[in-house]
Amino acid sequence: MIKDRRVWLWFAPVLLVLGGVYLIPVADVIRFSFSDATLLRPVTGYGLGGYQAAFSDDSLGVILRNTGLFTLLSVVSLQAMGLAIALLLVRGDRRGLYGMSALRTIVLAAWVIPGIANGLIWQMLFSEAPFGAINSTLRLIGLSPVAWLSDPGNAMISAVIANVWQGSAFSMIVFYAARRAVDPVLYEAASVDGARPVAQFFFITLPQMRGALLVNTILVTIQTLNTFDTILALTGGGPGRATEVLSLNIFNRVFYSYDLGGGSALAVLLLTISMALTLVYLAVLLRKTAR
Amino acid sequence: MRFAYPLTTALALTASGTAAQDLITRDRVGPADAPNVMTFRLTAFDLYSSDDATREFFEERFLALMAEYPEWRIETQLQTDNIGQEQARMLEQVRAGRGPDCAMIDSSQLGLFKSAGVLSPMNDHFSQDQIDDLFPFVRDGVMDAEGNVLAWWWFTSLQVLYRDASLVPDAPATWEDLQAAALTTVEAGREGVLFNGGRWEGTAFDWLPNFWAQGGELVDADGRPVFNEGDNRDKMLAAINYYKTLVDEGAAPSRVTTIINYDEFNAAAAAGTAGLFIGGNWQYGQLRSTLAKDQFANWEISELPGPSADQRATGTGGWTIGAFSDDATAVEICARMAYEIYATEGNAFQGLLPTSASLYDAYDAFDGPEYDAFAAALVNGVARPGVAIYPEISNQLQVLLGDVLSGAATPEAALDAASDAVNAAYDRL
Amino acid sequence: MTPRIADMLTYLAGIVLAALFLMPLLWLVSLSLRTPAEVYLGAARFIPEAPTLDNFRQILSDSAFGTYLWNAVKLCALGALGAVIVATPAAYAASRFTFRGKGPVMIGILMVQMISPLVVIIPLYRYLDRLGLLESHLSVIAVYMAIGVPLSVWLIKVGFDTIPQALEEAAAIDGCSQFEILWRITLPLASPALASAFILNMIMGWSQFLVPFILLTRDGQLPIAVAIYNFAGSSSASTTQLLAAACLVAVVPALAAFLALQRLILRAIMAGAVKG
Repeated sequence: MIKDRRVWLWFAPVLLVLGGVYLIPVADVIRFSFSDATLLRPVTGYGLGGYQAAFSDDSLGVILRNTGLFTLLSVVSLQAMGLAIALLLVRGDRRGLYGMSALRTIVLAAWVIPGIANGLIWQMLFSEAPFGAINSTLRLIGLSPVAWLSDPGNAMISAVIANVWQGSAFSMIVFYAARRAVDPVLYEAASVDGARPVAQFFFITLPQMRGALLVNTILVTIQTLNTFDTILALTGGGPGRATEVLSLNIFNRVFYSYDLGGGSALAVLLLTISMALTLVYLAVLLRKTAR
Repeated sequence: MRFAYPLTTALALTASGTAAQDLITRDRVGPADAPNVMTFRLTAFDLYSSDDATREFFEERFLALMAEYPEWRIETQLQTDNIGQEQARMLEQVRAGRGPDCAMIDSSQLGLFKSAGVLSPMNDHFSQDQIDDLFPFVRDGVMDAEGNVLAWWWFTSLQVLYRDASLVPDAPATWEDLQAAALTTVEAGREGVLFNGGRWEGTAFDWLPNFWAQGGELVDADGRPVFNEGDNRDKMLAAINYYKTLVDEGAAPSRVTTIINYDEFNAAAAAGTAGLFIGGNWQYGQLRSTLAKDQFANWEISELPGPSADQRATGTGGWTIGAFSDDATAVEICARMAYEIYATEGNAFQGLLPTSASLYDAYDAFDGPEYDAFAAALVNGVARPGVAIYPEISNQLQVLLGDVLSGAATPEAALDAASDAVNAAYDRL
Repeated sequence: MTPRIADMLTYLAGIVLAALFLMPLLWLVSLSLRTPAEVYLGAARFIPEAPTLDNFRQILSDSAFGTYLWNAVKLCALGALGAVIVATPAAYAASRFTFRGKGPVMIGILMVQMISPLVVIIPLYRYLDRLGLLESHLSVIAVYMAIGVPLSVWLIKVGFDTIPQALEEAAAIDGCSQFEILWRITLPLASPALASAFILNMIMGWSQFLVPFILLTRDGQLPIAVAIYNFAGSSSASTTQLLAAACLVAVVPALAAFLALQRLILRAIMAGAVKG
């Protein structure tokens, strides 16, 4: 164990890289957000114009609602799906059932697919042309087709499905690790007491995994907030604005409408939400370590 | 040493053989070691077409032209169909001095580039006759107030109504006719009428003729957006309600709000599920090559329907080529490419509509009956306003149509929201 | 419920889940093997009657696709390598030394990971523009590197934590410098952690879209994820069966790498997951 000023030398490369690519740009985004800069024109003055314009825009309400809905539905489904698969895998492992590692591999495979490709794949699946994948299957078995992407409500659900298909693997791994860390003695004791599996789930599994659930919820929320490539490729934010989430809106605003000031103002909003969630996450982690 | 001579000749021959093949690559036309470079940003439809015959045709023409400039090579840069994003990015690059020397500019975005003052005049490379021969809307589009030729609009396009004449024998002339015809095809198990309704330029562009046919105007003489003011507002609402009724009555499938590609129509025609669709004139050739012969024989084209049979309009589009370079030779090559490769022989080969009347007579390729239909419709051609705010108007119209057609907003509310957003963007410009 | 019935239900649920996760990929394969005529038949031809490799031939004969794949490999390999190199000294210091401010620094590094690349790409675009470094792979690699650093620091630190210090102490007694100890003894022992950090960075880089999309425009420089997005948007080539083939071409390298290195990757994520 060393106490030495030179210890910071070891951190120099990391601080340099993160400072250059993250800290300075974040400071600059905050500066831009108070400016009237566009992508075509440098800053000519500072003020609250960017915030005023961005926050008085009628579309912001819709976009924030979309963002909230997309994040909420995604996170709940991702957690439920991840937990279900993880518990299934743990049970299969314990009972020595076949094919458990195959299932795990299949779920994980979706996870390495780039978001853009994910959006394109689901666009083909949800295609509402008469020969589209899901709809032609529905027709084949005598059901009526579904307006997956053209109905605003469905389009949001479709985007969530695509997101969950790709993202469940992460939650699955976290929960798999957490479930295996639960002391088996607890379950043995419960069995002896005659507790049914459902009761064991609610009185042992869930409470024991509370930490993992909370931490993972926050991580997945941040991830969901920050990405938009699946939506971009799947619906482009449409129909209308039905699936336009905050990050996609910032992207369009800055790189399509050139509105650097307003886009930065919303970027600051996104950053604030992420950082607030991160602080909650850290508080949870620290409490866990302290215990 | 006796063997050395033939050997070097053979090597030289091989080398020149490779060089000839190597004169066109994915990102270059001309010798790799040419001392002068100009960059050219183009779309993937001609020189880099996925169709072999088209590609070879353009390769040949490019090599012939570049043979006159042995000291030059063209560095090619592809742009995608995501017109709004691509062209926004290009303008931004040109402003920063990183733009290409010569580029294809979508005719709807030309105004943005003109008002930015970034185009190099090409006056020296076009004769007064060539300029006079341009269609009036084309001439207005490419020239500035001082009479400079800032770009060359090398082909135009228009929307037409495609119909399966075995189901709809007579061309629908009015909005009501179209709805009735579409419902007939629905009864026959087809999808009704298809059109662009997703978030991309084609959606706004293909719908705008319905507004223009009533005499509506997007911007005033100063380029200020006025589409939500006075009469224009009523005309907007009428045109919006026309599309909305088509969807509400089942004459158009709700999936139109997901269509962001003309290819969807070709696919639906090939799959035998389409009854009618609103597409571009260039799709006629595509249908001919995609569909089986007897299937293709059923497809006919006609002018877009209007609110009444004598109120008609179609949107004229197409692409221009402009120069951003300060180098005189680069501008010259750019202008010559635009005219000698694209505007003349290239159009005849691809069946694209030339922008001057005399060129239709100059090539046999334009003798087919479909060109008579195109020419008749072109009389009612309206170009998108060449103003800097147009891309944002288009963007808002796309959102508006998506919201209305999917039932997320009423036409009135969606129009007001679009208008507010456009005005806010106009104030920022 | 007897364990036997429970086993049956487990199998049933497993099969349903596996089908759910596998179907999209199978459908993609099915589309990519069809002729246009069979594409229009939809689900009725899930197994094509006249399977064809023409779509792949057309995609792969386009030399550009090779370039896109190579660009993607190059960008994410160099970015991943850079991240591991930059992260290692910090991870070592965090694992071995106690010093004031260590906790806040490590938490600060973790927090950086929560910042969306979208937020920083706006000013980065302007800096790189001014420096004339847009359209350059170097810039993209630098950003990939920064994106990979936070996770790498934590993963490698966890790796170092598991190596007993007795070995290092023995070397120190023999007069080795701190750096020599790291280079000769600790690093080789930590190679599994280094490798898994590298691979995770690779996979994350392979999916990157925003950074190369904004920083690069020249077609010949684009990595595959951006290229297929552009490809899907070009109406000359966006017929479904070709797009399906192109998507597979983009996805298969990542899938293959993942399948080959599954154990290593899994262990890495678990280590990260358990530690938070």
